Amino acid sequence: MSQRITTGMNAMETLEILQDADGYYLCNNERDVSQSDFKNRLMPMTTVRVAPFREAAGFFSVEASGGASVHVDLMRKQVSPFERLRIARQTMPRTLLQIACRGANLFGYRHYPENVIRLAVKKFSDYVNVWRVYDFLNHVPNMIPIFEEVQRAKRILMPSICFSTGKEHTDAYYVQKVKEILGVTGPNVIISIKNHSGLGTPKRISDLVVAIQSAYPDIILHYHGCNTDGNDVGRMAAAIIAGVKICDVSDHGYGSVYGQAPALSLIQMLEDYGKKAIGMNIEALVKTSDILRRELKIYEPFESPFRGHDPRVAHYKLTGGAAGSTFEQADKDGFLERMPEIFDEMARIQVELGNWWSSTPGSQILWSTAVNNVLFGRYKKPSLDLKNLLLGRYGPLPFYEPDEWIYEKVLEYQRTDGKKWRQILAEEGGLIKPSAVNLEQKRRQLESELKSSVSDEQLVLYLLHPFDAVSFFKFEAKYGKTWVLLPDVWFRRGGFKTGERITFRDEGGKPHYIEFISCQLEGNTALTTLLVDHTLHKISVEL
Amino acid sequence: MVEKKEFTKILVANRGEIAVRIINSAKELGIKAVTVYEETDKDTCHVMRADEAVCIGPGPRKDYLNIEAIITAAKQTGAQAIHPGYGFLAENPDFPEACTNAGLAFIGPPPKVIRNLGSKVIARKLAQRAGIPVIPATETLSSGKEGERQALVFASKFGYPIMVKAVSGGGGRGIRQYRDEKSLLNGLKQSRSEALMAFGNDAIYLEKCLDRIRHVEVQILADQYGNVIHLGTRNCSIQRRHQKLIEIAPAGLDKKLSDKICQSAVQVTKASDYLSAGTVELLVEPDGNFYFLEVNTRIQVEHTVTEVVTGIDIVREQLLIAQGEPISISQNQVVERGYAIELRINAEDPKNNFMANPGLVQVYQPSAGPGVRLDAAVYQGYEIPRYYDSMMVKLTVYGFTWKEAVQRLARTLEGFLIIGVKTTIPYFQKIVHEPDFIKMNFDTSYVYTHSQLLEYQEEEREEVKIARLIAEVHAHGYNPYTH
Repeated sequence: MSQRITTGMNAMETLEILQDADGYYLCNNERDVSQSDFKNRLMPMTTVRVAPFREAAGFFSVEASGGASVHVDLMRKQVSPFERLRIARQTMPRTLLQIACRGANLFGYRHYPENVIRLAVKKFSDYVNVWRVYDFLNHVPNMIPIFEEVQRAKRILMPSICFSTGKEHTDAYYVQKVKEILGVTGPNVIISIKNHSGLGTPKRISDLVVAIQSAYPDIILHYHGCNTDGNDVGRMAAAIIAGVKICDVSDHGYGSVYGQAPALSLIQMLEDYGKKAIGMNIEALVKTSDILRRELKIYEPFESPFRGHDPRVAHYKLTGGAAGSTFEQADKDGFLERMPEIFDEMARIQVELGNWWSSTPGSQILWSTAVNNVLFGRYKKPSLDLKNLLLGRYGPLPFYEPDEWIYEKVLEYQRTDGKKWRQILAEEGGLIKPSAVNLEQKRRQLESELKSSVSDEQLVLYLLHPFDAVSFFKFEAKYGKTWVLLPDVWFRRGGFKTGERITFRDEGGKPHYIEFISCQLEGNTALTTLLVDHTLHKISVEL
Repeated sequence: MVEKKEFTKILVANRGEIAVRIINSAKELGIKAVTVYEETDKDTCHVMRADEAVCIGPGPRKDYLNIEAIITAAKQTGAQAIHPGYGFLAENPDFPEACTNAGLAFIGPPPKVIRNLGSKVIARKLAQRAGIPVIPATETLSSGKEGERQALVFASKFGYPIMVKAVSGGGGRGIRQYRDEKSLLNGLKQSRSEALMAFGNDAIYLEKCLDRIRHVEVQILADQYGNVIHLGTRNCSIQRRHQKLIEIAPAGLDKKLSDKICQSAVQVTKASDYLSAGTVELLVEPDGNFYFLEVNTRIQVEHTVTEVVTGIDIVREQLLIAQGEPISISQNQVVERGYAIELRINAEDPKNNFMANPGLVQVYQPSAGPGVRLDAAVYQGYEIPRYYDSMMVKLTVYGFTWKEAVQRLARTLEGFLIIGVKTTIPYFQKIVHEPDFIKMNFDTSYVYTHSQLLEYQEEEREEVKIARLIAEVHAHGYNPYTH
């Protein structure tokens, strides 16, 4: 069968079509691409601009939310993550929307109470069709509440196994993980191989696919890779030839460096192998990238200070999603020239700390530990998250424990009670399971803060990111839905020229304009005169 | 023998929307309209709409009350009659008297009628004589200790709370409620001094306080031939501090009760030798008992709802009656069809105790559409003066059913775009979506028992909010919310 998958099909129908598919499907992972190159700053109107072509391109899904993007939507883009999904749904009504979720960390960096997780999954499922779920320690119990809620919402569940390399990362280990997952979820899921750092050769990936399929011949496999080393097209091709049904790709117009490899490159390559990209419309795919290429210049100031493929990622294993932001941080904090040292340190500490997976929040722990080790001395300034990791609060380390001297340095750091690491571990160690919060009490708390009634969506955002959610709600009350502005206005540097007319359409599609007239400085106040839809407005801004 | 006159020019001794309203009917009858204005009010609508306008003084407010100046203006311009509108001199019996003395016709009742009905005590006697129940009340209270004694005797008979009213009060002013003996005794002095300040007469009386009542009124027309007809009922129960916020026609009473009330109103009108348009106000208890309240001897703000459901131009009738014509319709021809709702879009901030919010009307795009009537006093670019009442536009909507009228009102309110001043629109928008209002289930306590209606978010237009960000981006040279 070669049928495009659309929102009109239910989860079971979709899985049946995938199972019988004579070819492969592609998922456009805009979320991961944008966080790589543009630090999550890709604005909704860029997505809206290309949405009709993405819709026509025929992807299995578009990964539109999840990971850090939920938090960044609130912090940097001043848009509700729910609203962004709603926009995506409106502009791509037939395309499945996908979300990436970090197990018990959801879209954050620490474990949330189970009732918060369940409510969040329920509310996001109003828009999301496909849930890609992982845990950076491949600790399946951390994902169970999400599995249950996704299945309850009758959405497509895509449990992931985080993949890495090294002697511990055997086919047998991963097959065992798939078994554990299927034991919880049952067979009606898509298993994703999450190769977040883009590791391994095409052969290694092919072998893994074969091993899983040998154990579970009927299972549908998805591959999520990363193109940091420039070779993810090879890995994806090998995975598809070995039996993977869906791969995460990008639009070539984005540059395709730290995110996923380009869809078109993969399609063109696999044609010679007789493999067909089901449902794909090449013309629409090309058109999308033509638009994105032009749009890229708006995001230029946020590009990574280091661009280009780095095959040495196989050594330091930095996740693609974090590559751009690590370079940006290094540049801002003045240690960009020490990146080779830091990457070497990353490779070293990964081995020291247990060779688990460099995926959020593990990737942040590895990165900050490597940076601190290089800048301040090895394990002289361990982070709280590293301490929590060694205490087992995220879950058990999968392969081996770090050396005792590391426990000593990390757990005894800044202790004033004189306790030694063994005692600390004995007393404070173990998986963290935050107790349930009183949801109605939280709602009342937020209502009192905002002085208005609170929707379930607002409550969820508040539970996930209390401080930034409140800041966002206040921003939106004051400035409105600014996502309707084009990115070149949102990111404008140097202000506006007299007579410049900013045009936009509101949510209902009605056109508006704001014409810049003048700005006068009076002490610390800028008094700006604007013509808003034929009406003069004077707005003062404290500088 | 009734003397017939034919007006060719009248003077409208009022301002704002009611002046425009009167000018419109005059023009339709081929009568030219002169208006007066104070210097502080020269930019107002009625000056623009009149055929001629005479400045009667620097203002504010006092010159609209200057009988001599107005009479002079009428004589100077050759007007044959004066229409007082509502408020200002409309219920001052000296005004029609001065008109008559100057050889001008007064478009309203004769001075004696105004004087009698203006006195609440005389009006109550007239009502009782006409067989209409009145709310138990005292005579005018004596001054000093004797007045206090009379008040306590009355309170011990009818219980608390007790209403204290100014004999010359009206329009909801000069009314206070006292809940116990101490506050009553303390309040008598205050009520007297307020009555003196507001009406130039410190006479007060006590009235029994009724519970869960509806404020119902009957529109009356009376001519010089002894014909008196009613134009049906209005429900003005939704009030704030005894001032009407929303008025509805018909009142929504069952037919039997409505007929009885209307007949009573006609009787009291006849008993008072009434002339022109007037309103008999009554209070109706949940069990259908009703009491006479007062007669308003003028055109009322809310007359539009009656006009909309009956199709009768009340001001036109006033003009014709004043010319010596009989009422142009008979009682049998009066039919109330559907429902009309009227409300006042004022430049006020409901959240700030409905405080007036005068200022420049930067944008005024009125709503319109089927079943919508606007009696406006503003235009885009008009600076609402702080000296006068804050009414911007009186909105009256019609619906074949109550449901349709409410839905139309909601739609019409949504269609207004007014920028520059705060208005009562957001408050009314809450009311039109409130379940009790939708079910027409309200009495005079509605505003107080539905205080949540004030908890609205004042919705600024999205594009104006976005403009605020544009100003920020320009002022800082970058978007401070991207970092």
